[in-house]
Amino acid sequence: MLRRTLFALPMALALGTTASAESDKAPEDVLNELINKVDSKYLTQSEQNIMMMPDNPAYWTVDEGEELFSEPRGPKNASLETCDFGKGPGVLDGAYTEMPRFFADTGKVMDLETRLIHCMMTIQGFTKDDAPVKKRHGSGSDMMKLQTYIASKSNGQPWNPPMDHPLERAMRDAGKELFYRRAGSFDFSCKTCHGATGKRIRASVLPSVEFPEEWTKAISWPAYRVGHQNVRSSQHRVRGCYWQMRQGLVKPGSDASIALISFWTDAARGQPAILPDMKR
Amino acid sequence: MTKHKHILTHGLAAIALTLGTYSAAVSAEDYTKMTPKALAEHLIFKAGGFKLDEATQEGTTVTERQTQDGIQKACSALGSKTIDGDTAAKVNAMARKSIVKPDGGIKLGDWKKGQALARSGFGFRVGHRDDDHSKREPGGNCYACHQLDPNEIAFGTLGPSLAAYGKTRGTSEAMLNYAYEVIYNPHSYFPCTYMPRFGHNKVLTQEQISHVMAYLFDPESPVNQELKPQSW
Ligand code: HEC
Repeated sequence: MLRRTLFALPMALALGTTASAESDKAPEDVLNELINKVDSKYLTQSEQNIMMMPDNPAYWTVDEGEELFSEPRGPKNASLETCDFGKGPGVLDGAYTEMPRFFADTGKVMDLETRLIHCMMTIQGFTKDDAPVKKRHGSGSDMMKLQTYIASKSNGQPWNPPMDHPLERAMRDAGKELFYRRAGSFDFSCKTCHGATGKRIRASVLPSVEFPEEWTKAISWPAYRVGHQNVRSSQHRVRGCYWQMRQGLVKPGSDASIALISFWTDAARGQPAILPDMKR
Repeated sequence: MTKHKHILTHGLAAIALTLGTYSAAVSAEDYTKMTPKALAEHLIFKAGGFKLDEATQEGTTVTERQTQDGIQKACSALGSKTIDGDTAAKVNAMARKSIVKPDGGIKLGDWKKGQALARSGFGFRVGHRDDDHSKREPGGNCYACHQLDPNEIAFGTLGPSLAAYGKTRGTSEAMLNYAYEVIYNPHSYFPCTYMPRFGHNKVLTQEQISHVMAYLFDPESPVNQELKPQSW
């Protein structure tokens, strides 16, 4: 679908249609504009990945997610087209870049994954033990297909998680505490590795939370991880970093994980999302 | 506020019912009434944020791993700020008190073992694919952050280069003592450093520290050799 849009772009321009310029940019264009704007070793670390982005295997995942999204499924035989990701039932354009957000129907701040699960359970009638809800990881999972599709509808949009509700601010502020919180055998906090730009851990260049143009790429998930040969989610990244930090297993969808994601999204505020991205 | 609290409580209860998982962990606490710090602690320890009951390699559980000691607390409180004098003095004093020296004095071990420890990032991971210390000994992973052997190309830059460490600094007793203390508890010289407290946190044993020190100081160690001319 995304590629079809890309091919259609020159035509649209020639005809002078006023399609939103942002959403018609390819993820690699969004990235290249950032690279042209700032000096960042993190953004430029893998020339090969940037070259491969037009053929990102995550596009297959996007296409599969698009089909799944509109297909009636689950015990209630319903599609996800009535799911509200914050901008109204079924509205996906720019929805992901405005998450996590407060949802009045649950009284909770939810990230994309938690919200998606909520809709799959309430609208489609899946239970938490049904594979579409239970299996969270891997390009072949419904969860990653749907997340990658929904997120791709925010490509090029600036991160703009709402902070109007007091709970949104409370979660973001607690997430900041979690980010700077040292613990465990190695005394690490997220800041240890993501507090300065241009630093390397072994051969990997690390993104800095204090450099928004760099941080937007860091938080642009789902992304195809070349080393894993799979599309990965934000929740997967949070889990992986805690694992590397030698701290405990952060529970998927827990308020702790969502608070952290609220803070990290806020830290990229105003910068364009690269979706789907391609990472090492 | 009352109305909001009602919605919140109601919503959380509904989630607890549908998900049926974190029912014990979900409480009707009003997050907006807590300080950010108190809420962060609540999310970790009370709201089902982490798998707290999992066993760790050191024989405790994740609860202990996530619980902060004095130095971790004081340094975390800085957030994104650089360290102030009061914190530095406090952290430094805690660090100095923590240092335990080897009984027979500080000696250099085997640099080859030290090299293996400097390269190995194995150890202490929990949650999934836990590191099994009975199968393999944990390492120090020095290369993650430091350059050591000048001919090794994959090294991190979070810490300073330690290439030619012994060659440039010599092996006086004072020097060995300093290096031991830095490895044991680096906050004794660099309060709120990012470097782990390898001795104090029991990541490396005293014997392992002696091997890592040999890697740094032994004249035979690759750390103290010349950079080989590149072949290209
Ligand atoms: C010990 C160092 C270390 C710590 C501590 C750490 N990370 Fe990471 N983080 C990494 C590495 C290494 C990568 C992968 C970068 C790469 O391969 O280019 C990474 C990647 C990321 C990314 C995605 C960027 C990318 O290119 O893959 C995010 C976001 C992130 N970390 C967030 C966090 C958060 C949040 C925490 C704290 C819970 C944290 N990290 C703690 C080392 C660390």
